[in-house]
Amino acid sequence: MTPLVELKQLMKKHWDAQKKSELFSDVTTTIEQPERIALLGKSGQGKSTLLRILAKLESVDSGTIYFNGQLMSEVDSRIWRMNICYVAQQATMLPGTILDNLMISSKIHNRTFEESYARQLIKAVGLDHLDWGKHAGDLSGGEKQRIALVRSLLLRPKILLLDEITASLDQQSKELVEQLLFKLHQKEKIGFIWVTHDMEQAKNVSERIWYMEDGTLASDVKTSVFLDDQASSPTQVKL
Amino acid sequence: MSLLALSFTLLFVIITMLVSVWQKLDLEKDIAIGTVRAAIQLLAVGYVLQFVFQSENILFIIIIICVMIVVAAFNAAKRAKGMEGVIWRIILSIATMEILMMGLLLSLQIIDATPQYIIPLSGMTIGNAMVACGLFLTQLKRETESSKGEIETLLSLGATSRQAVQDVLKRSVKFSMIPTIDAMKTVGLVQLPGMMTGMIIAGADPVEAVRYQILIIFVFTSSSAITSMMLSVLCYKKLFTKDLQLKDWR
Repeated sequence: MTPLVELKQLMKKHWDAQKKSELFSDVTTTIEQPERIALLGKSGQGKSTLLRILAKLESVDSGTIYFNGQLMSEVDSRIWRMNICYVAQQATMLPGTILDNLMISSKIHNRTFEESYARQLIKAVGLDHLDWGKHAGDLSGGEKQRIALVRSLLLRPKILLLDEITASLDQQSKELVEQLLFKLHQKEKIGFIWVTHDMEQAKNVSERIWYMEDGTLASDVKTSVFLDDQASSPTQVKL
Repeated sequence: MSLLALSFTLLFVIITMLVSVWQKLDLEKDIAIGTVRAAIQLLAVGYVLQFVFQSENILFIIIIICVMIVVAAFNAAKRAKGMEGVIWRIILSIATMEILMMGLLLSLQIIDATPQYIIPLSGMTIGNAMVACGLFLTQLKRETESSKGEIETLLSLGATSRQAVQDVLKRSVKFSMIPTIDAMKTVGLVQLPGMMTGMIIAGADPVEAVRYQILIIFVFTSSSAITSMMLSVLCYKKLFTKDLQLKDWR
């Protein structure tokens, strides 16, 4: 069976003190079906860059990526991004109201706006008190982050690329987002790759862990295995 | 104006140089080069125009207009260093505007089809379009950098390049038209434009001079709009790679 996503020997360089050096290399793995993956690692290991590469917002210096057996470069970028959707760490609200932001993907793709689905999602992330006519730029950081997530979910992607999307949320909102994404995986088979520095969150949401260290994907195992290894290891991973 | 009277105008240059020496501005060399260049360029243009006006050959008019467009395009393109092929896009935008403007002015018989009208009016509109192109490209660069988050959010949601930069383009076109629109609002109250002043000094009837000035202001407004909008349509794809990624435009 063709894997859903396949990464082969990815290598990315970055500018470091006015010269290019390797950020990571030899990143090779596959995702057979939509999975819940937590992407862990210390800052500066290239986790966000890897997500941006998977979203086709950046290119690799070498290596290949496949989606459903098709080479990334051969798939139209728009189709790619509709299937593998990136949610940035810093949520950017588009000019206009909350409704304008929620309707944007239906406008882009000339589709009917799924209002009832949008209401369900908004309620699930704890924002049902918001007036949709409110200017999106006036929302708090945490509210913007959740609107950005709902905005991407309305695209109905197959995989979400989540870059520390709960970093600015309180505990209750964080749990609501985790529950929603867990449910969407169960019911609608939406997978995700979630960059987080919160080990507790990784434990709660993921079934698999990608751990980046020393410029490569140092560990790619089931979450339970990773946690067992951690418990028995004298040098525990600090994120 | 006699040559003697013209030579007296050098006094203004000497005053500027003295100020530069006194205030240690270190501008004397630049002022001297600028003075010589301005004098030679203007005198040369004067003789060229005299020749073209007398010959009334359409080919000379076309050559002069082409030279104006190319020089204007090279100058405006300096604002978009790093964007390949921008020069051709500017040339195409300004040339289209020039053909449209002159086509209208001549076909509606607003001006006479003589070099005396075509060349100065073309020079002014091309110059104005050059400023509009420069402002558009400067603002496009700024907007693309400051709105990177907005553009990438739209790309992440599957937007086309056009959809991703639509607002950025709109804001840049608007910015490029600010000087022309401001000038239109304040003309006669804050400034007496060069063309009108020149005609009055040369002995023309002030009302006639004003009529031409009104014409030129209206032509300026639409020339800025047409050039900037056309340039925006021709340039926006250059902001992206073939994989629809935002280029690092430095």
